[in-house]
Amino acid sequence: MERTEILNIMNMIMTKKGRSEITDESQSTREVNFRSLDFSETALRIEFKIGTELSFEAASMRKIETVKDVLDFFEEATKGV
Amino acid sequence: MYTTGQSIIVSGGSRGLGLHMVTQLLEAGNKVATFARSYTKEVGALSEKYGDSFYFAPLDAVDVNGVTAFVNAVCDKFDGQLDSVVNNAAIGQDQLLMHTDPETIQQIVNINIVGPTLLTRIAIKRMLLQGSGNICNISSICGSRGYAGLSVYAGSKGYLDAMMRALAREVGEAGIFVNCVAPGFFESEMSSVLRPEQLDTIKRRTPSGKLSNDENIFKVVDLVISGTTNMQGQVVFVDGGITS
Ligand SMILES: NC(=O)c1ccc[n+]([C@@H]2O[C@H](COP(=O)([O-])OP(=O)(O)OC[C@H]3O[C@@H](n4cnc5c(N)ncnc54)[C@H](OP(=O)(O)O)[C@@H]3O)[C@@H](O)[C@H]2O)c1
Repeated sequence: MERTEILNIMNMIMTKKGRSEITDESQSTREVNFRSLDFSETALRIEFKIGTELSFEAASMRKIETVKDVLDFFEEATKGV
Repeated sequence: MYTTGQSIIVSGGSRGLGLHMVTQLLEAGNKVATFARSYTKEVGALSEKYGDSFYFAPLDAVDVNGVTAFVNAVCDKFDGQLDSVVNNAAIGQDQLLMHTDPETIQQIVNINIVGPTLLTRIAIKRMLLQGSGNICNISSICGSRGYAGLSVYAGSKGYLDAMMRALAREVGEAGIFVNCVAPGFFESEMSSVLRPEQLDTIKRRTPSGKLSNDENIFKVVDLVISGTTNMQGQVVFVDGGITS
């Protein structure tokens, strides 16, 4: 899935929760208040879109710190799906 | 009645407590879906009376693909909404652990633990996207107090209580409420293994002097899934005070 599409999903969740849209990939998820359940909701929305369950490796999820990491993670997870 | 206008799944609604809850929830204007391994004439009567507001599928709670397809079908039929899930389907036990065969142990674990966990997992995905929902597990006083002959069953009910507490922490922030209702013994096919003198002993030891009935338990479930309380991560005992 394209990065822009993933970011759109993340921003849809952010605005739904009354938070500002994310514009800077280098910001930490904590800084922009993108919480762990927002990550889960992003994953579910992507799963619904692509019609298959994503598999998550706990180790690679633990490394996520910035918005860029989230985008990289989902870009990788949806590769070839 | 506190719960009305919701789309609800109650597992194991073909008889016993499940059937009572399904009937009452339909009567109160909810859309209700249920499954059990076998169809009963009571299920047939509900289909006739409530038409599209009621959905039944013959299904084993441990069938992963079947449970997923069931939840998807329910959401399709009920306008994409899933407000509450009541994990009620379970099987009992009636033997000391040393006499319980390994297949029975496996079956209790599968139906009473894996089953509700699978259903809950799928349901909370829907609820997370909705931003609201209620999960109510029917556990048992056996999950918190020791009763001989019920070791594996008791373990499965203790699991439901423990899972519920962790899950409340996982999804509470998303507006999903997770709680357990833990009945004391009540009359049903499951408790029919108890002899009349055993039931009398239980009654004598119960401060209220009587066993709970389906309606006593349903009244609490109704409140728990109504979305009108801020109750989260709790086990509510409906047992006439036997655990007090
Ligand atoms: N009765 C008591 O004294 C007592 C006390 C405390 C707590 N509880 C709890 O209350 C709940 C209801 O109990 P009850 O006494 O009403 O039980 P019940 O009369 O035996 O009914 C159990 C229901 O669950 C269904 N079920 C069982 N295994 C299933 C499976 N593998 N897949 C799908 N459905 C399945 C049954 O239908 P099929 O068999 O056709 O599948 C039936 O509809 C249970 O969680 C029980 O542990 C009962």
